[in-house]
Formats: sequence, structure tokens, C-alpha cells
Amino acid sequence: MSNEVAALKGRLLKSIGRSIYVYRVDCGGCNGCEIEIFAAITPIFDVERFGIKVVPSPRHADILLYTGAVTRAMRMPAIRSYEAAPDPKIVVSYGACGCTGGIFHDLYCVWGGTDKIVPVDVYIPGCPPTPQATIYGFAMALGLLEQKLKETTHVEGEDESVPLIHPGVPYGLRVALERRARRMAGYLQGRACAEAFMGALEAPEPAQVDMRITQLIAKEEDPRRAEIFTQLKLVFTGMLA
Amino acid sequence: MTGSKDFRIGQIYITALNEKMPDAVLDTSWQTDNQVTVTVKLNSLPDAVATLYYEHDGWLSTMVGNDERPLNGNYGLYYVLSMEGAEKCHVIVHAEIPEDSPEFPSVTPKVPAAVWYEREVRDMLGLQPIGLPDERRLVLPDDWPEGLYPLRKDTMDYRFRPQPTTDNETYKFVNDSKVETTVVPLGPLHITSDEPGHFRLFVDGEDIIDADYRMFYVHRGMEKLAETRMGYNEVTFLADRVCGICGYAHSVAYASSVENALGIQVPARGQAIRAILLETERLHSHLLNLGLVCHFTGFDSGFMQFFRVREKTMTLAELLTGARKTYAMNLIGGVRRDILAEQRLTTLKLIGELRGEVKRLVDMLLSTPNFGGRVNGIGRLDPKIARDYSPVGPVVRGSGHRRDTRADHPFAGYKLVDMPVHTQTGCDVLSRTLIRVEEFFDSIAIIEKLLSDTPTGPILTEDFAYVPHKFALGYTEAPRGEDMHWSMTGDNQKLYRWRCRASTYNNWPVLRYMLRGNTISDAPLIVGSIDPCYSCTDRVTIVDVKKARAKTVSYKEMERYCRERSDSPLK
Repeated sequence: MSNEVAALKGRLLKSIGRSIYVYRVDCGGCNGCEIEIFAAITPIFDVERFGIKVVPSPRHADILLYTGAVTRAMRMPAIRSYEAAPDPKIVVSYGACGCTGGIFHDLYCVWGGTDKIVPVDVYIPGCPPTPQATIYGFAMALGLLEQKLKETTHVEGEDESVPLIHPGVPYGLRVALERRARRMAGYLQGRACAEAFMGALEAPEPAQVDMRITQLIAKEEDPRRAEIFTQLKLVFTGMLA
Repeated sequence: MTGSKDFRIGQIYITALNEKMPDAVLDTSWQTDNQVTVTVKLNSLPDAVATLYYEHDGWLSTMVGNDERPLNGNYGLYYVLSMEGAEKCHVIVHAEIPEDSPEFPSVTPKVPAAVWYEREVRDMLGLQPIGLPDERRLVLPDDWPEGLYPLRKDTMDYRFRPQPTTDNETYKFVNDSKVETTVVPLGPLHITSDEPGHFRLFVDGEDIIDADYRMFYVHRGMEKLAETRMGYNEVTFLADRVCGICGYAHSVAYASSVENALGIQVPARGQAIRAILLETERLHSHLLNLGLVCHFTGFDSGFMQFFRVREKTMTLAELLTGARKTYAMNLIGGVRRDILAEQRLTTLKLIGELRGEVKRLVDMLLSTPNFGGRVNGIGRLDPKIARDYSPVGPVVRGSGHRRDTRADHPFAGYKLVDMPVHTQTGCDVLSRTLIRVEEFFDSIAIIEKLLSDTPTGPILTEDFAYVPHKFALGYTEAPRGEDMHWSMTGDNQKLYRWRCRASTYNNWPVLRYMLRGNTISDAPLIVGSIDPCYSCTDRVTIVDVKKARAKTVSYKEMERYCRERSDSPLK
């Protein structure tokens, strides 16, 4: 890119004085990204209220929005649409596949991410990016917002160590409880159930542990969670025996 | 799993084949109780497939080519037929092709539905279908080197990228019209399809005489990826990314193919949750298509309204899976999240709202006077052509055929519900739209039924072992129709072969017949009615053969013409 174009590009957004025209180039996406772009331009999210408008030809575009890993067959059409757009133009690479090639990055019929064929200014990651992420990405491309992501590195201190969770619950029991909870209700909800159950196990006065578990089940309003707690109780009593 | 003798379904078809063609059948084996693979002699292949297809209510679901030389010295072909007659099951006609003469008698002259599959197997494995009239490539790009077959085990690394040899497309388009016509190319960056695709409309004045298209611009090589870089248990997440709209249907189809092959019994609650999520996906997909029908008929406020309401289904998906799209909910053996009381109540509330709002919008749409005029009798798919080409989903149901995988071959939680199947006999865009409307309300009823009556117990089983070289089918009914996956395990915690057939694959070949006889202004509407989705827009070049001049108009102009039907861009 020549310096002249770069300077023009810098000024483009400040001096444009009208809506921003976006042209979408699908160069091999699965359509998940396209569908979220659709969601972003229709009521509820409605990016048109920020003056962002999708146009049907690259010749009208200020921003080119590339989605999908660039496939072998779409390489030339994608380059042609880049060349058809007037300078200065901003290129946004959208979605995991657009940014890097995603899960398809090294395949025989794929050229990689958008930046393998055209220079990219803004990356909007996600699989697919949510409409909120889309709007944020555009706000960044338009210079309305600063990038929020900042790199930080944590260095472990001298006395710093990662504490064990539930030190009061024997390791074997904890693994058995967590495994049963995961099979019953999956990673997220199962984990929450196992945590609640282990909280009841760990409370002071070990003699009353049976009573606390019975109470935990009796108090639970959600019958499904009560079922999961009952299963965890079976694991617990099984380990004791 | 071979299935216990008493429960084997499909024996009548084997008996029928044996009677009609003595000595043709070499072997039979059941993968599950209702999946049987019949090995026939290579020369009997077309007759065997045609017999099952036309005499026993079979429909061609998919065809798999497999390089089995490292296993038994042969290539394998598997024609998968969905038997929807007396006994509902899948019969897979298998034939072996010797390594030294990689060719087989084409089935297409007898069963036209096989045409795309045989073109694909020639591209990907270099197996020549003898007698197949269409000599063109299907899947691989125009400049892909001759004689390099990606799915052969010994040809290339999955990362091998031959240098491009040309910057221009060289695909030859077919025009069967008898009169002189004008060419209207659309795409590849353009209009109504999921993926970029290039359409050529051959027109006489305003009338479409014939049409041809070049798809697979987004061929990435997923099947090769699944066999090489990924473990068999990770491919569920790759399958989610086959399609951004109905990816979950692919993920379920893949997971159940491996579960069928390895004999894994998924817990009932996991099955029910899969069905709930499949219906959630159908809700958003059908609203998308209803919105697009509004758009293409010039009723843009309807389009915006449908998309406003559609956001509720996205909220629902996010609530149940944590993601608006690409749910990543499946594991081999079950699902990754449960539905607790909190999610259940919110879901019931949301679908209650959806039922009311969509009903109002549909009433509005159907009582809009010019809507009927734009969709009635447009894009007719003759039931006979539908029978020959095995289309799926609302496209085939709109032409009067009662085909729905959820009812014919119940899978996941659909065994727990009474599945209504809607058909229409109009064969036009209106019929397909009305079927989507009916299915939308069915989906709500199915979700309500499954949520009120969810089986208890675990959602995931991990009680299974990986067994090498087992294969089976897995299938779902995606919003666009049947998705069919065929998987074979390898011996290294990976897949030996994964064949993924998306629903629209079976619907493309009939589009040509739907376009014929209509006007140019209806083309986007007709393409939209098979419900690929509108992903990108581009130019339309119109070449007037009679006047020998070319003119380029934007796709927007075409679409505007579709909506307004005035000021033809061809003048």
C-alpha cells in the first residue's frame, strides 16, 4: 500500500460525512457468519442506526467484510472484489475462519485466512462472532472505540501457589462425584451441582453430614437438581461402603 | 453390532433381490437392527440399486466411495437407500472395485438421483463411472491437477496445495434448450445460496429455458480433515461447522453414525435433549426462510418482522447451549449440557411468545394480496422428477411425497413423540412455504412435549470402547431435509472414512427443473425456496446471444426486479 493510500485511509472515516457502505465477501464460510451479520443488520441489533449499510457491489464499498477461510475456488473472485472496491478501503476479516482459516487452516483446498490474499485492517474473531461483537468490531474499524483487549502476563510470586479446591473432600471421592455429576448434567450444570454437594460434605461437624445431604435434597425446588443430588449421594454412600 | 436375528429389519428386500437377481448378492451384514449392507457383484450394481429404488419405494440417500485398498485391496462403493415402503430401514448396496481397474458401471442411467454422487466419486477417488453422461467435475476446483484424487489414501498429504494454474474458471455449462437463448450468469459472489455458487440462466426474452450451475466454491476438504488431523471424538465439533445454519443436525448425524457403528446406547435424556435442540435449530432456520420469502416477493417489512421475531429463537439457543450458533453440544455418547428447571421454564415462556407472534405474522403474510400472486404455481417441481432425483425436506414434501426422516426412521428423541408429516400438492413455492409454516408450529409442540416429559437419568455415557473398522449410518432431519452421514472407524482413534451428505446436496439437481418455464424475475425466489440461504451479493452478467453483446447489471438490480417486477434489466 502506498503512503498516499494509507493517509487517505486514515482520513476516510473522519471526512466521509455519510453512511459507511459495507460489502460482504463470502470466500468459503459455512454461513454461520453470514447469518450473524444478518442478525446484526435486522431489527433488535440494527447496525443501520450507526450508519452502517450493506451494499450489493464492491464498487460502492468503503469496507469489505471477508468471511470464511479462503478456498482455492474463491481465491480469484475474492481478489477481484478487493480490486473492484475503490481506494481507500478498509478490510475487515470476520469470524474464526476469516481471521486465521480456523479449523480449516491447513487443508488442501484452503488458502488460509483473509490476510493470506488481501491486507486486513480489523479482525472480528468468534465462531461465529455474536452481533454484539460485530457492532463492536465495526465501531473499532470506524475509529469510534479503542481496542479493549490488552495483553497481560502473570508472573508467579515467591509465596504464590494455587490452592486446592475442597481440601476436606478426599481426592478419590471428589473425582467420583465430579464424574457422576458430569454424566448426569454435563460440564457446566454438573459442575455447579457437584460444588453444591461438596459444600454440604465439607461443612463443619462431620457427624451431621448425612443430615445435611438429606436437607440439601429436600430443600431443592428443581426436581432435576434433586435427582442429580440423589445420584451424588449414592456415589458418596457407595464410597463409604 | 449385527443385531439379534429376531429384530432384523430389511430381510424382505434381501429376499426380493435374491429372487430377481440370483447369484448377484454375495454377502449381507447388519450394522444395526435396521441397517443392512448388501454386497453385490459389481456388474449387478445398477440393477440392484434400480430394483430397490423403483420397485420397493427406495430413495437414494447418499453414496459413499471408500479407498479400502489397505484393508482388502479394493475400492468400495456404498449406495445408501432409504427404504420407505413395507419395512422402513436403510439398505446399503455395496460393491467392490478391484485396484487395477478403477471403474464401475454407472447407476445414473437407471436412477438419475445418483448423478452428483458419481461425479463426486470420480473427482475424489478417481473411480470412473462407465456410462455416466456428465463428464464434468463437480467438487474440485477447475484448476485442480488431473489425476490427483484427494481421498485416495496414498496420493497426498491433507495439507498439499498444488499451485494454481489459471485465474479463470473453465467450467462448461450445459444448455438443453432447442431454441436460441440468452445467457444470464449469476455469481459466484452473489445471491440466494448458502455458499458461493455460479448460475447460468439460459433465457429467451424473459423466460428461463434452461439453467445450469457450478457449486462447491467452498469445498474445503472436511472429509479428508476428519480422517487425518482429528480424532473421531472431535469430529462432532467439525460437523457443527459443516453448515452455519443447520450445523447441529450434522453434529447429531455424525455422532449417531459412530454410536451406531460402535453399538453405543445414548441415554434417553441425552436423546431427548438432542431432539429439543434440533427443533430449536429448525425454529430459527424456518423463520429465516419465511423472512427471505417475504424479501423476495417485495414484502420487506415482513422480512424485518420475521427477523425481529427470529431473535427469540437465537436467545433460546443461547440459553440452552451457551452459543447462538455452532452449539458444540454433542459428544460421542451424549450431550454436554442438561436442561434444568430454570432453562425449562424460560424455554416454555419463549416458545409461547413465538407461537403467538409468528401466527400473527404468517396470517399477515398470507393475507397480503400480491404474495399469493408471486408464489402460486411458481417454481413447480413435478412429483415424477422429485421421485427420480430423491430431493429431501420441504422440497420433496411440497411435491406430495411423504418423506420425513423423523417419522420414517425415528432417531434421537423422536421415538418419544408422535411425528406429524405435512405434505402439499401444489409443488410450487407456496407449498414449500406452507410446509415450513406448519413445521414451525410442530417444532414448538415437539419442544413442549419433550420438556414436559423429559426422561430422567444421565445425559452422557462413557461406557464404550473404540473398535477398529466398524461402519454405520447416522441421519437426522435438518430444516432443509435429511442429513446422511456414513462413518468408518480406523485403527488409530481416528476415522478411516467420513462421508457427510448435507440436505441441500440432494436438492440442487432438481433446481434446474424448477427454474425451467419461469421468468427471470422469479429466479431468486425459486432458488430461495429450496432454502439455501442468501449469503452474498454480486454481479449479474447478461449475455445476449442474439445481439452478441454483453451487459453487466448488479445482483441488486436482479433482486429489485424480482421484488418490483418493473423496468426489466434486460431491455
